[in-house]
Amino acid sequence: MDFFNPIILAVLIAGLYMAWNIGANDLANSMGTSVGSGALSIKQVVIIAGVLEVIGAVFFGDRVTTRIAKGIVPIEDIIAINPDIVIIGALAAILAAGFWITFATFFHMPVSTTHSIVGAVTGFGLVATLYLDNFGLDQIKWDILAKIVASWLTSPLIGAALAFIIFSLIRILLLARVDDPYKLETKFGYLQILSACFVAFAHGSNDVANAVGPLSAALAAAELTPFGVIPDWVLLLGGIGIVIGLATWGWRVIETVGKGITELTPTRGFSAEFATAVVVFGHSYSSLPISTTHTLVGAVVGVGLAGGLAAVDLSVIRKIIISWVITVPVAALTSGVIFAVIMRLL
Amino acid sequence: MPTKYIRSVLGIFGESPFKPVHTHAEKGGEAVRKLKEAVDAYCNKEYITVSTLDTEISGIEYEADIIKQTIRKLIPSSMMLPVDPNDLLSFLKPQDSIADNAHHTAHWLTLRETVLPLEIQQGLLELMERIVKTVDAYEDMVDDIAKLLETSFSKKEIKQILKKVPIVEELEHEVDITKKQLQQKVFKYEDELGGTGVFYMISLLRDMGNIADSASKAADRLRTMILRR
Repeated sequence: MDFFNPIILAVLIAGLYMAWNIGANDLANSMGTSVGSGALSIKQVVIIAGVLEVIGAVFFGDRVTTRIAKGIVPIEDIIAINPDIVIIGALAAILAAGFWITFATFFHMPVSTTHSIVGAVTGFGLVATLYLDNFGLDQIKWDILAKIVASWLTSPLIGAALAFIIFSLIRILLLARVDDPYKLETKFGYLQILSACFVAFAHGSNDVANAVGPLSAALAAAELTPFGVIPDWVLLLGGIGIVIGLATWGWRVIETVGKGITELTPTRGFSAEFATAVVVFGHSYSSLPISTTHTLVGAVVGVGLAGGLAAVDLSVIRKIIISWVITVPVAALTSGVIFAVIMRLL
Repeated sequence: MPTKYIRSVLGIFGESPFKPVHTHAEKGGEAVRKLKEAVDAYCNKEYITVSTLDTEISGIEYEADIIKQTIRKLIPSSMMLPVDPNDLLSFLKPQDSIADNAHHTAHWLTLRETVLPLEIQQGLLELMERIVKTVDAYEDMVDDIAKLLETSFSKKEIKQILKKVPIVEELEHEVDITKKQLQQKVFKYEDELGGTGVFYMISLLRDMGNIADSASKAADRLRTMILRR
């Protein structure tokens, strides 16, 4: 099979669309906090985020990508039986996640691309058991899936705790002691450039997998890339797709959200961003795909709990929980249906 | 591409109710300073000016009401604030009464043209002066809320703002004393003023006293709000 096989091309295109959407919305959300506090202009944010996102994706994106590609559904077992199933499954998964994310974006639902892709990949694994005699439900790595789902719950909580601690330290050690707190904010504006870089980097290392995880599975199944290694060019492709999303559409999202969050001063922005970046990068290191934006929400609540924000609207949390509960089954079901349809057509 | 193709979680940032609280306090101050002009005009028998100022004060009071409603809308139960939302609302109420009472007083001034003995006139101007001072001190205290939020309630800033509460209360106390002295004088001149004139003046003094009283009450509630957080 070569690169110009229509199914491989379809996986590639769907993956790039996913990357575009991640850049246009998720990365833009994570970067919006820097613009809101006035630390950086939109143009500066786009450039900084673009560079750091690609670096994070290429150098540290392989762990989570490997996890999405073959950590939940053991594709090596399926390849041994029929590699075409994996390629079709990859297409079904990326299409399902892409459809759901598109739908959610139109209806402004705070859905996570990570949750969508994990649900979609799992859906493929479940439906594959119906098509293969030697592949059963017990072969799906439920323990890893449980670990991933648990990390979705704990990551915003850890983000909140960390942001609470960071902002409390800033408050007690600096804000309460300086004569002019506003001058301190100006200084933190510079630190916030660093924390924004860190967020983009961490985001790249975790979220590039949502776009190229299925692609790398399909490429390995087609024997276009060696099994078990994620080639740098695949990660680079994902990173570039995300940056294009940020540059072509994400800047508008940054502009929209930046206007709405003028309350976030640099000390608060720094605390939330730094906590988010640490948590997300920590999870990338542990090969756990998590939602950067949900972690950021947790971190903002943490700063709020430390008395750092004039108003935090907790109704968003309810919306996040609802879309969280909906996303996994919907993505899994859609993925399974698309898989069954393609199998019928071929 | 439609401009609404956005998936954002940053709705987590609520709009601060403290900025409109500040604007609301300024409206009160504005109304009271206008009232001083109206009292001056009344003493100079410029009744048309009094009427014009009454209309202006009525407009300011209405604006303050709108701001009050905006603030209430900004505090749904899902909103997490650094203070108890109920404390914030019970602080807002007396603050709103400042403009309300200024409006009552201005309206009362338009109802009757009373020729005042010189001593009463001087007393009235002094009372008004003291009320303006009280409300100015009140506004000065409210100005500090921004810094309080910026440092997220540092001990230093809490001390700073809590020092200003007794200042407002002290000034209100002086208003009270001036008012009582003036009440005595009103009865001293009861023959000159006539029964209606006395009734008119006593009511006027009560309304004026209420302005400073509201500022002092609001200052007290602000202290409660800060200490109870």
